[in-house]
Amino acid sequence: MRHLTRQVFNSGKFVVGFSIFVGILLIVIIYPILFPYPPLEIIGQGNFFPPGLYVNVYDSIFTSHYILNLDDATANRIASKLDSEDRLAIQKWLTASGFPESEIDIENTAQLLDQWTNNFDPTKRFPGMTNADRNYFIRLNNSLKGLLSTEGAIIAVENPETASLEEAGVVAQNDYIVVNEVPNVRLLPLGTDNFGRDVLTELVAATKVSLIIGFVAGSIATLIGLILGLLSGYIGGQVDDVIMFFTNLLTVIPSFVLLILISFSIGQEQRGAFTIAVVIGLTSWVWTTRAVRSQVISLRNRDHVNLSKLSGHSISYIIIADILPYIASYVVMALILQISSAILAEAGLSILGLGPRTTEVATLGLMLNWALIYQAPILGYWWAFYPVIIVIALIAFSLNLMNTGLDQVFNPALRE
Amino acid sequence: MKGYRRYFVGKFLWFCITLVAAFILNFTLPRLMPGDPVAAIVSRLAQGMSNTTGVQAIYEQYAELFGTNRPMLEQFVLYLRNVAQGNFGFSFSQYPRTVADVLRASLWWTIILQFPAIIVGWIVGNTLGAMAAYRKGGFDKVLMPISIFMSSLPAFGMAVVLLVLFGVTLKWLPTSGGYGFDLIPNLSGRFIWSMFVHYQLPFWSIVLVTIGGQAIGMRSMAIYELNADYVRYSRFMGIKDRKIVGYVFRNAVLPQITGLALAIGTMVSGALVAEIIFSYPGLGTTLLTAIRGQDYPLISATTLIITIMVLVANFAIEILYGFLDPRIKAAQAD
Amino acid sequence: MKNKNRISFIILGLLLVLSLVALSACGTSTPPVEENPAEAAPTVEVAAPTEEVAPTEAAPAEEVAPTEEAAPAEEPAPTEEVAPTEEAAPAEEPAMEEADPNALPRNETLYFNGQQWGSVVGWNPYSNSNNNAMAIAQQDNARVLMFESPYVYNMLDGKTYPLLADGPFEWNADRTEITFKLNPAAHWSDGTPVTAEDVAYTWATHVKYNTPTGASNVDYIEDIVAVDDQTVTVKAKLNDAGAAVNPLIVEAYLSANYVIQKAWTQTLEERVGEDATQLLADPAEDVVFSGPYHKYFADDSKVVMVRDDNYWGQDASMWGKLPVPTYLAHTIFKDNAAGTTALQAGEVDVSQQFNSNVQDLWEKDGLPISTYLPDPPYQIGASLPTAFYNLESPGLDQVAVRKAIAIAVDYPTIIANAMTNQSATFDQVPRSLMNPTAGEQALFDHEAVADLQWVGNDIEGAKALLDEAGIVDNDGDGWREYNGENLHYIATCPNGWSDWQAAIEVVAAAGKEIGIDITTNYPEWSVYQTIVTKSDAPLPEGYDIFMMWSDGAGPTQPWSRIRHLLSSEFIGMASNWNGNWGKYSNPDVDALIQAIPNETDPDALKEMYTELVQMYLTDVPSFTLMYRPQSFHTVNESVWTNFPFDGDGTNPPVPPLDLMDGWGVAGLYNLELVNP
Repeated sequence: MRHLTRQVFNSGKFVVGFSIFVGILLIVIIYPILFPYPPLEIIGQGNFFPPGLYVNVYDSIFTSHYILNLDDATANRIASKLDSEDRLAIQKWLTASGFPESEIDIENTAQLLDQWTNNFDPTKRFPGMTNADRNYFIRLNNSLKGLLSTEGAIIAVENPETASLEEAGVVAQNDYIVVNEVPNVRLLPLGTDNFGRDVLTELVAATKVSLIIGFVAGSIATLIGLILGLLSGYIGGQVDDVIMFFTNLLTVIPSFVLLILISFSIGQEQRGAFTIAVVIGLTSWVWTTRAVRSQVISLRNRDHVNLSKLSGHSISYIIIADILPYIASYVVMALILQISSAILAEAGLSILGLGPRTTEVATLGLMLNWALIYQAPILGYWWAFYPVIIVIALIAFSLNLMNTGLDQVFNPALRE
Repeated sequence: MKGYRRYFVGKFLWFCITLVAAFILNFTLPRLMPGDPVAAIVSRLAQGMSNTTGVQAIYEQYAELFGTNRPMLEQFVLYLRNVAQGNFGFSFSQYPRTVADVLRASLWWTIILQFPAIIVGWIVGNTLGAMAAYRKGGFDKVLMPISIFMSSLPAFGMAVVLLVLFGVTLKWLPTSGGYGFDLIPNLSGRFIWSMFVHYQLPFWSIVLVTIGGQAIGMRSMAIYELNADYVRYSRFMGIKDRKIVGYVFRNAVLPQITGLALAIGTMVSGALVAEIIFSYPGLGTTLLTAIRGQDYPLISATTLIITIMVLVANFAIEILYGFLDPRIKAAQAD
Repeated sequence: MKNKNRISFIILGLLLVLSLVALSACGTSTPPVEENPAEAAPTVEVAAPTEEVAPTEAAPAEEVAPTEEAAPAEEPAPTEEVAPTEEAAPAEEPAMEEADPNALPRNETLYFNGQQWGSVVGWNPYSNSNNNAMAIAQQDNARVLMFESPYVYNMLDGKTYPLLADGPFEWNADRTEITFKLNPAAHWSDGTPVTAEDVAYTWATHVKYNTPTGASNVDYIEDIVAVDDQTVTVKAKLNDAGAAVNPLIVEAYLSANYVIQKAWTQTLEERVGEDATQLLADPAEDVVFSGPYHKYFADDSKVVMVRDDNYWGQDASMWGKLPVPTYLAHTIFKDNAAGTTALQAGEVDVSQQFNSNVQDLWEKDGLPISTYLPDPPYQIGASLPTAFYNLESPGLDQVAVRKAIAIAVDYPTIIANAMTNQSATFDQVPRSLMNPTAGEQALFDHEAVADLQWVGNDIEGAKALLDEAGIVDNDGDGWREYNGENLHYIATCPNGWSDWQAAIEVVAAAGKEIGIDITTNYPEWSVYQTIVTKSDAPLPEGYDIFMMWSDGAGPTQPWSRIRHLLSSEFIGMASNWNGNWGKYSNPDVDALIQAIPNETDPDALKEMYTELVQMYLTDVPSFTLMYRPQSFHTVNESVWTNFPFDGDGTNPPVPPLDLMDGWGVAGLYNLELVNP
């Protein structure tokens, strides 16, 4: 046994796959301990907040300010509100309104803004100017207000007695805070999703559920497949005929079609993650049955089995002692493949809207489904769907790698 | 020739039995779902109606029309008789359109998308797999992990990635539909070009996923064969390398053909979901609409058609296999 | 050997793909011709009138052809176009482009999304199972592109304007009969005039075959008769007192329902042997219409309508010109995501769908896309998606519990997350029974109900309310009890209705804050609707708090919305598609609902409406979660411009109803090309 283990861990593919898988498992286990946020809690008011470090504005006003005189601060500030496209648009608007083009210098910010504020009139419309253009200029005009001011912003609080505003402080343009000193800071490495949930926390929880679905479905499928394969292969005869009839039948009828039909008829209320796992398991045992059966048939007439038969051992003893050990490696490999395909099946079902009931648990498929419903791919919210696809692919990849590695160990012919 | 006939007759009988079983499953399963599909149609018709008797009358009228008020067995016989005539009844969600009409429109799209994609994927995958087995070394080292990774990506995942990359970010290819938004189906060059362009993303998302799995399988098979005794013996006999390789790949490709027959169902299912991502007007999209509309005549007909397609493909492959593998003939002649 | 094999394999494969692609092209393009012999026949029948139009149609097409070729080069935004290859095509094959009747010239076509889901089933104006969103929608804001109603409603100013009619309609002194005249210029697509007899026969047919329109109006309209060729009288059904049962509904009939040609109706009746089911199931490919557009093409991926250049409305008495686009096309998308992609790509001009985070399209992507209002809520809210309480659930019969949950709900989150800010907040438009349009808001006294308002997120207030009512947590398990039982409710809405699901989640979260255990459940729509609309039995477990819609904008509003939210008349109906699913019953409310339709004095009406709002906000039988527009109205101005927007200066104002509903159709006459 130890020899076998060493051999397995000598296979590069297995080791890589195994490390990825264990890595994912560790993250799933450790992350919730380190960051015990409820995974489905709605924290964002609004959806698809970008990844980043969220610093509480209110708190940062009232933490100590440090004055840094940095040369490029003003330039950065202006660039964030007025980029080269905006400058060109201003030039276009001014020329269209009859302002002499020669007097416009789009690089001269102060002059350009001056010309703009003195001439802009939101009611003016030119030929070829759409309502969208008009809205753009109004938005631009609003955002440019006070851009060149060097004064700070005044913070005012409402006096509860007189209901008037009283100055509480001034934020100068060269005031800085240290993020560490702000009491409320939340890192959202993957932003939020359409419900306003923390994507990373949800992703970890979803990975866990998907792994459980995969494991439950895979175990069920492997168990059924193993039992049927053993019966069919060892007993043979009519039992074999009956089992093989159904096996062949389900091999040609696409299991995904069955899956769709069954999940559909179960109905949404009954579709928990566990039910889905059971359904996936129940529809995907055929491959294991076939593999186990063919292995058993080849073992059935081996000498040691015949010897065991002659010694009067019971069928169950023979199966357990003389056959199982020889097919164990195949069963393990089948289980690995089943787990990976079950995770993919859950995701596929969820895309069709037939996945587990929403919002009770997160699964990888559901996360992807909601991201698609809220149009994340089109609007460029990559953090809501790419990580999910990558995790799905990584899980399947690691399992497949492990499987290939094992294959090479158990089938020496495949070794390089 | 007698051996072949036995083989074919056997396969054909098997084909028929599977078909019947699939048929029964397709009829029964969707009808077990909770909820009343007729009520759903009536709800659409009755929005804004304020008198009860009117709504009730409409309900009964439709229950009668769709036969949902009859016992299950009677419905089944009725369904059987109708399907035999190519009549799948009315679609619930698109009434008064018939299911046959809906399917006729979408079936072609799926066939022209999936079968070429799967076949191309299979050919390219096997070629790459064989090359990996034969050349080994760096080529193998690079190709294998990539293949495994590709085959680990679900088809819809690949579809989303391609969609974002080539459709949204680079804007090279259109992201949805079967042909240009400004065109009406016809035979002009412009239309065919537009179809071709819309074909690319769904096509490649299926092909890329298929390649991976096939390459892995072919590589294993080919290595197995390359290490077989007959290869060593032939080498020893001084037979030319090229000739040996020819034998090897012929032997290795046979199990891959059976593999294709068995896996085609899974591939088609995966590809259906990919269709949905691109709003390709094929069966996948139809199935999604049917599921959303709780339209069980349409669901059972769609799944039946998919099953039949898979069965036919399967049957065809088995027949082809019968011709290719001399061992079949030998076995049957015994 | 090996190489040869491989290469031949690849070549074979490629050949196969190519042949299949070619085959498929034949396969898909032939069906429209071969597949529907039934369809082909009627086309031949109508060939005569279309032939007359043909020369006029052909002429502009030829004229525009050169500009069109030039267009791609001129267009400033070719980068947004999805397929540069497609643009290149006309340049390569100019000859084909000119001759190709199958490509819609971009500069003559207005593209929509969000109306048509799934393929068109028929063109039958008597039926409402045509799934034909572009041509047929008989509703408060009737869709008048192909068929026309005597009047059209304008949700912005609350008035109706004549379409087929000539001048305003008039009630007689007793308010029992409406008389109106038809526009003498109005004629059908076959050239015959639209007469009073057509109007009368349309009604008679609706009644005779118990069409949905007939069934829903027969309790209020006695008869519609033709006085002479141009004059129509609508007789209201009278109650025991001799007054009209409901004058509001009688009035609304005129702007909600189409006039259908008598001659064609008779053809149809003959064809179906006067069988009601068949009449409603007839696809009516041969239908005669009066509107400016009609069927050009329809399949699973799109529906296209073409302008009738003989349209009567170009008469000076109506519009004085033809609507601007020659074609109206609607690509059928699988879901909102696909629709948004097309809108982004400039393949859609007018979008009637929920584009989540719509502001990203112009703020982030810088696209020439805009909504009716430039800032949140972007759209004009018209309906009030509402959470109903099952008033029979233990505890929910207590006003304190109902109000506590309602004031604890975090509405800003619902509006920001579920609606991505495309709804007015309850700070901007305080809750009432009225939608956010100015007309309805003016109907009640805001001051009088100010004390009853809540804006949500009031956890402390909710707790105080419950404590005060004695509903407290006695056993210390964290949940409050009522009559010794923990308060536990299930909040529900149909599965897949994404914005509602997001909203219901927020409602459930509020419960947990105030010691009431609320969980969520999402049954399929088919299950959900069967249960919710069964008002003759108690609602089963799992339906304590559930979401349904309310009426939008229309000529009978807000009365009809209030009736559907509060009237007890629907309790006991076996199939209740009207409202009050939570079974609220208050005689005072019922009396007011009964009285309003016959009240004409504005001051008295305002008083009555204020009273209703007061009772609604006091009893809290249901509560609004957000405002939703009548139509989402987002436009992409890369080809067309001059769409309606807030403050566009049109008079009467063109409502943001996608240029097709009610008075919104007027917008079609104002469109201009960005690059003419």
